Amino acid sequence: MTVSRMTVVLHALRCMGFAELTRVADVAGQPEPQTESDLIDLAVDGLVTRELGAWGLTPAGRAEDARRTADELAGAETRGVVDAAYEKFLVLNPELLDLCSAWQLRTIDGVTTPNDHRDPAYDGRVFDRFADLDQRAEPVCLELAAALPRFGRYRERLGAALGRARGGALEELADSLTSYHVVWFQLHEDLLVTLGRTRG
Amino acid sequence: MIFPLDAAVDEPAAVIGGKAHGLITLLRLGLPVPPGFVIDTNACRTYLRDGSLPDGLEAAVERLGAASVSVRSGAAVSMPGMMNTLLDVRPPIGDAVREIFRSWHTPRAVTYRELQGIRHDLGTAVVVQKMVFGERGSSGVAFSRDPSTGEKIPYGDVLFGCRGDDVVSGRTSTLPLSALASRKPAVWRELTDALSRAERHYRDACHVEFTVESGRLWLLQVRPGGLTAPAAVRVAVDLADEEVISREEAVRRISPRHLRAAAVPRMLGGEIVARGRGASPGVATGRVVFSSDRAVRMPGPVILVRPVTSPHDLPGLAAATGIVTSRGGLAGHAAVVARSLGKPAVVDATAVEVGEASARIGDRVLPEGTLITIDGTGGEVALGHPGLCTAITDTHLHRLLRWADDLSGDHSPRPAEERLRAAGDRR
Repeated sequence: MTVSRMTVVLHALRCMGFAELTRVADVAGQPEPQTESDLIDLAVDGLVTRELGAWGLTPAGRAEDARRTADELAGAETRGVVDAAYEKFLVLNPELLDLCSAWQLRTIDGVTTPNDHRDPAYDGRVFDRFADLDQRAEPVCLELAAALPRFGRYRERLGAALGRARGGALEELADSLTSYHVVWFQLHEDLLVTLGRTRG
Repeated sequence: MIFPLDAAVDEPAAVIGGKAHGLITLLRLGLPVPPGFVIDTNACRTYLRDGSLPDGLEAAVERLGAASVSVRSGAAVSMPGMMNTLLDVRPPIGDAVREIFRSWHTPRAVTYRELQGIRHDLGTAVVVQKMVFGERGSSGVAFSRDPSTGEKIPYGDVLFGCRGDDVVSGRTSTLPLSALASRKPAVWRELTDALSRAERHYRDACHVEFTVESGRLWLLQVRPGGLTAPAAVRVAVDLADEEVISREEAVRRISPRHLRAAAVPRMLGGEIVARGRGASPGVATGRVVFSSDRAVRMPGPVILVRPVTSPHDLPGLAAATGIVTSRGGLAGHAAVVARSLGKPAVVDATAVEVGEASARIGDRVLPEGTLITIDGTGGEVALGHPGLCTAITDTHLHRLLRWADDLSGDHSPRPAEERLRAAGDRR
C-alpha cells in the first residue's frame, strides 16, 4: 500500500505533538519545502494548525489520523506483526529508560547525583549497553517496517541519534529533542496510536 | 543447597542472597516472617550451567504444607525490580524457580549489573514462602524514619485489600502509612515496634515490606538505608545523638557525594498535599495546569501535572518550571525528559487524580491555577510557596561538619567536602 505524503506528515505530528517545521520534516523523512507544502494543505483541510511557530494536530486531524491508521492496520497479518513487535518493544522499553537514567544520574554507595560525565569508564559502559540495546531493537524496527513502511524511519533516526552521540554529542542519548530517548518515546507513542492502546 | 528460613541458619548474603539474609535477621529479632526456605545462589549457578535443580526442592515445599507460595528472587547485591517474582504459585514449583533463575540473564538485568559493576557469575537466590494475602487485610512499605527528611517518624504507603507488590509497583493509589494507626492500632504498634527493633539491629534507618493477613502482621523484606542525601545526614546525626552510633561513625557514613546531593535546595515544610517520588532534584513553584497546551499558554511559572506523559507533553514540559505525574517511575519517560531539561519532577504521586481542569487529592480539589510547590528530591507536593531550605541553613549538616573538624583537629574555615575528607584522612 502506498501512503500519501500528507498521511505521513499527519501521522508524524500525531506521534510528536506540536513541533517546528524542521523537526516535522526530519520525522516525516521529507525535505522541508515539501513538508511545509503538505502542512499547508493539511491546514486548509482543517487537520493541522500552526501556533507560536509550531505545527500540531487539530481535534479533526487527530480523528482523521486515527481513521487512516486503523485502515492501514486493517489487514489481519499487519495487526499480528505490530502486536508481536509491540510485545518485544515493551521488554526493551524499561531497559532503555534505565539506560537513559543511568546516563543522567549515577548512584554510588546509595547516593544519587547527576552524572558529570567525568568518568569515561562509566560513560563507556552506559554507551556500550546503549549500543547493545540498539542492536536488539533493530530487528523489532525491521519487523514493523516490513508491515508498515513508515516505521522504517525510526530505525534511521535511532541509528542517527546514536551516531551523533558516538561522535561526541553527549546530549543525543537522553537530553535533546532529537535524542535517542525522544525518538524512542515517539516510537512508543506510534505503537500505542497504531494499536489503539493507552499508555499504561 | 536449600536452607530453611530459620533463626539458626548462619549463612552470608553471598550464599543465601540479601532478601533471605534480611528475613533471617528479622526472625532472630523475634519478628513475624512467613515460613519458607531459600534456594542458594550456588543452586542458581548450577542451574545456569547444567539446567539441574537442587535435590529436595519439592520435598521442602511439601514440608511447608502451604497450598500456595510466593517465589521471589534475591541476589547477594540488591537489584531492585530486575528479576522476577512469582506470587500465589501452587506446587510443584520447579518451573517457577527455573523462571527466576533464568531471569538473572535477562538483558535488562545484565545491563543493570554492567552499570553497577556487579559480577555476572554470582547468580540469584530464590526465596520460597507460604503465601500471605494482603487482600484479606492490607500491605505496604514502611520506613523507620522519613526517607525524604530523615525525621524520626515512621513513613510509608499502605493499601487496604491489596497485595504488597501492588504498593511496590505503584499500580494502585495508596494511603499514607498513618492510616494504619487509625484503622488498625494494634498492627500499627506491632509494626512500629518491629521498625525500632530492626533499626537497633542495623544501627541505621530501615524499611520493610509488610502484609497484614486477617489482622496478623507479616514482614516480607527488610533493608537498611534508602534515604535521600539530606535525610542520610540527619539520620547519621540523630543516631549519634541517640547514642546508637558514635560521632565518628556518623561522620564516616557521610561522603562528599552526600554533601553534593544535599546542597540542592529543599522545600521548607509547607502544607504537603501529596507525596510521590523525587525524580529530578530541585524545588519549583508555579500554578498548576493539566495539559501541555495550558502550560504553554498560561503566563508566569506553571507546574504541569499529568497522569503520564506522551511526546505531546514535550512543549508543556519545556514551558513548565516543574512536573508532577501520578504514575510512572524514577526511570520513566517523564523523569528522563524532566532531567534532560534540568527541571524538578515528582513522579508516582499516586494520590493525585488528574482531571481536565482540576486534580483531586483525597477530598481536596485543586483547580487549574492553584499555586503549588514541588520538591524533586523528596517527592513532596505542597500548597502555596512554603519557601526554601538550603544546606547552609541545615543545622544537622553543620553539627556533622563540626564533628568532622573535631576528628581532624582542624577548625579553620574550609569547604564542607574538605572538612569531611580531613576527618577521613585522620582515621
